[in-house]
Amino acid sequence: MVQRLDLLDPAEVARLGGIEIVAEGVVEGFLAGMHRSPFRGFSVEFTEHRAYQAGDELKYLDWRILGRSDRLFVKQFEEETNLRSMVLVDASRSMAWQGSPERLTKRAYADRLAAALALILLRQRDATGLVTFDDQVRQVIPARVKAGQWTRIVRGLLDTPDGQGTAAHAALQRLTALLARRGMVVLISDLLFDRELALAALRYLRHRGHQVVVFHLMDPAEVELSGPPEVRFKDPESAVSVVVRPRELARAYAETVRREIAAWRKACRRHGIAYHHVQTDMPFGLALRLLT
Amino acid sequence: MSFLHPLALLGLAAAAIPALLHLLQRRIPPEVDFPPVRYLSAAERESARRLKLRHLLLLILRTALIVTIVLAAARPLVPLRGGGAHQPTAAVIILDNSPSSGAIVDGAPVLERLRAAARSSVARTTSADRVWLMLCDGVLRGGTREALLGTIDSTRPGWLRLDLVQAIERAARMVNAQPVVGREVHVLSDLQRTALASGQAVVPSGVRVLALAPGRGASNRGIAAVTVSEGAAVIELSGAMLDNDGTPQPVPVTIRIGAGPNRGEIAARGLATPGRDGSGAATRAAVTVSLPAQSLAPGWWVGEAALEPDELRADDRRPFAWRVAPPARAMATPGAGSFVAAALAVLQTGRHTIDGRDVVISGGDLPSSPHTIVQPPDDPALVGQVNRALGSRGVPWRWGPLSTPGVLTSSERGGGLNGVAVARRYRIERAGSGEEGASDVLATVNGEPWLVRSGSVVLLGSRLDTAWTALPASPGFVPFVDALVNRIVMGEAEVAAAEGAPHVEFRTRGTDTIGATVFGPDARESDLTPATAALVTAALGGNGRTSVLSAERFAAEGFSGTRRADASGILLLLALLLAAAELGVATRTR
Repeated sequence: MVQRLDLLDPAEVARLGGIEIVAEGVVEGFLAGMHRSPFRGFSVEFTEHRAYQAGDELKYLDWRILGRSDRLFVKQFEEETNLRSMVLVDASRSMAWQGSPERLTKRAYADRLAAALALILLRQRDATGLVTFDDQVRQVIPARVKAGQWTRIVRGLLDTPDGQGTAAHAALQRLTALLARRGMVVLISDLLFDRELALAALRYLRHRGHQVVVFHLMDPAEVELSGPPEVRFKDPESAVSVVVRPRELARAYAETVRREIAAWRKACRRHGIAYHHVQTDMPFGLALRLLT
Repeated sequence: MSFLHPLALLGLAAAAIPALLHLLQRRIPPEVDFPPVRYLSAAERESARRLKLRHLLLLILRTALIVTIVLAAARPLVPLRGGGAHQPTAAVIILDNSPSSGAIVDGAPVLERLRAAARSSVARTTSADRVWLMLCDGVLRGGTREALLGTIDSTRPGWLRLDLVQAIERAARMVNAQPVVGREVHVLSDLQRTALASGQAVVPSGVRVLALAPGRGASNRGIAAVTVSEGAAVIELSGAMLDNDGTPQPVPVTIRIGAGPNRGEIAARGLATPGRDGSGAATRAAVTVSLPAQSLAPGWWVGEAALEPDELRADDRRPFAWRVAPPARAMATPGAGSFVAAALAVLQTGRHTIDGRDVVISGGDLPSSPHTIVQPPDDPALVGQVNRALGSRGVPWRWGPLSTPGVLTSSERGGGLNGVAVARRYRIERAGSGEEGASDVLATVNGEPWLVRSGSVVLLGSRLDTAWTALPASPGFVPFVDALVNRIVMGEAEVAAAEGAPHVEFRTRGTDTIGATVFGPDARESDLTPATAALVTAALGGNGRTSVLSAERFAAEGFSGTRRADASGILLLLALLLAAAELGVATRTR
């Protein structure tokens, strides 16, 4: 039985090879499961029919089917390179953390997810670019659809080292200057930065007409607190530390994390931003499916 | 509340363990990278109060848990109200059947009332109890309940005085040593005032002393002592000397020659009249009654003094003994000294001695008389010569070197020797390795022999001279010389007194009678005045340990101190609850 890579454990899939191999395998499996393109537009190239829904423009009605079967269908067309996508990957030091050696670091997971996403978009002939950032923007690969773009994106991911602190709002502001045409912005980050500042930048993108998608990456160990009886937890970015007894604080911590996720989700929804919470043990295919 | 294992309370120190662990476990924790520290800080801020409360609650619960377990291990006993079987108890029942218990009060013997209470106490014991019975002889008798009841039923007034203070101390020590829950001493006595005069009993904590309150006292008088001297009997009376109006009343006394079944007709009568002291109380009365000495042949005689019968018959008669003997034929050698010569002259004048050589008092030489009293020579150079002469006479004593001054100590009754200063003396040493008989040493100075007797020879450590000892200048000198020549050198002991049923026992050496012991009740038994409750409480253990109870309360309180419940079970249950609470707080509040 052939295993679909997009549905396997991310850490196991990562052992198969580099980012390219993993991403291709994941995308192959993902698309085979979908049987159709996840991103649709209207173009001159017909792809399929679908049932008419109230609000559809009448010019796309297939009159022949209506004449033959007295049923309403509209024609769908595949849009060609009309979507410009930028994938933003958080490369801060906090992303280089894993709660267990059996799992990928958040950064490794984000790289593979970004590569797979870029491959899907490029196969749809969407112009796709990449921005990596920590406390400043590290790599910028403008959105293109030409051959070799995916390789450049993968190279950009590989060439971005683990950074220091996180300044998402600065990267997003820089991005607004790079995205002249309306398109899609995908942010992959652990969101361990100031929520209001980051939301201000995301709101601005949304205001410019971009479709904004946020992948909130978390290691499972960041969701469920555990550890020795007493431990000093240190933030690798700010060196702030706190001594806690994990067993005592686990419940309150889980509640705090739940509230934080809910706050992000609520704020994103209010501004028309798609928010997805992804844990690093989630198969890549499931994470990609969140976009559909 | 008391504890069965009070030493276990030392474990209460373990209650400090949770707090100490909390302080000692403040070590440096391991450091771990954790990106979402901001979430942790927020969670900790929100939970700080709850966590502090939880820590405090856990500390209290754990400390309480240890305290509860330690208390349970100490087996606390809490008193129970109401009836119910008592816990295993060690009890000593003191049934005071001393002579005074034979007094008739309100038409019945005092002992009958005491026996009934003792029987009631023993009857309430169970097989788990450890019970002893103490009578006036001070012996602790164990045994089954039936055996003790039998002993109580057969108890009659004894002839020995019971010192209640000492008896209760012994009983308290006995019950305190028993590994049982309850410890009680039941005192069934007429609680004479005189029986509590020897101080205060030391009663360990945890021992209850229950005393039956004394009944009504009775007026009684008895014969305290009879001594014979100069052909007359001196009879001392004890007990109450006043009548109902508080007026001293003369007491008729009769003397019979012979005692017990052999006593003869009344030989003499007297009337003892008590006086009053400065406080108005009656003093001890005495009467001197002349004996028909002229008609008595030489030898040992026994007589009996008697009073008219009263409430206590045991002290109404007392035997006495004396020796009728001709005066000793005594003389002193010139070296004996002027004081000895003067004393013998006085004795001859009073016909205590007559001139003769049966007894010779010498001073540094050893005459060949039947009985010899030898002083050390005035010249130290002659000591060796006299020592050799003593050795040739078979006397095992020798004069040694001059020894330290001191005061005389003598067991001779009535002799005026005790406390007399001795400035100069030779140490009297025993020649050879033979053991000295206790009766051979009659007086000592600083623990060393000063007056010794061996056969018919008596040795003195000092010359009877004021340069050597103050004895010649003391009032007791002439009586001492009288005793020396008439009794001591003859090998006779004085008449001794002892406690017991009234009778006379003679002591013999070979075929000779050398002394007598007269038995009778202790004179203090005659005073039937009961002690006050306060005096009883103070003398028998003090407040909180001793209770003086009426007959009804005595029956109710007996063994009630042991109607206690072992609270360790409840404490263990409480410990279990505390442990469950601790577990709940430790797990559910995480």
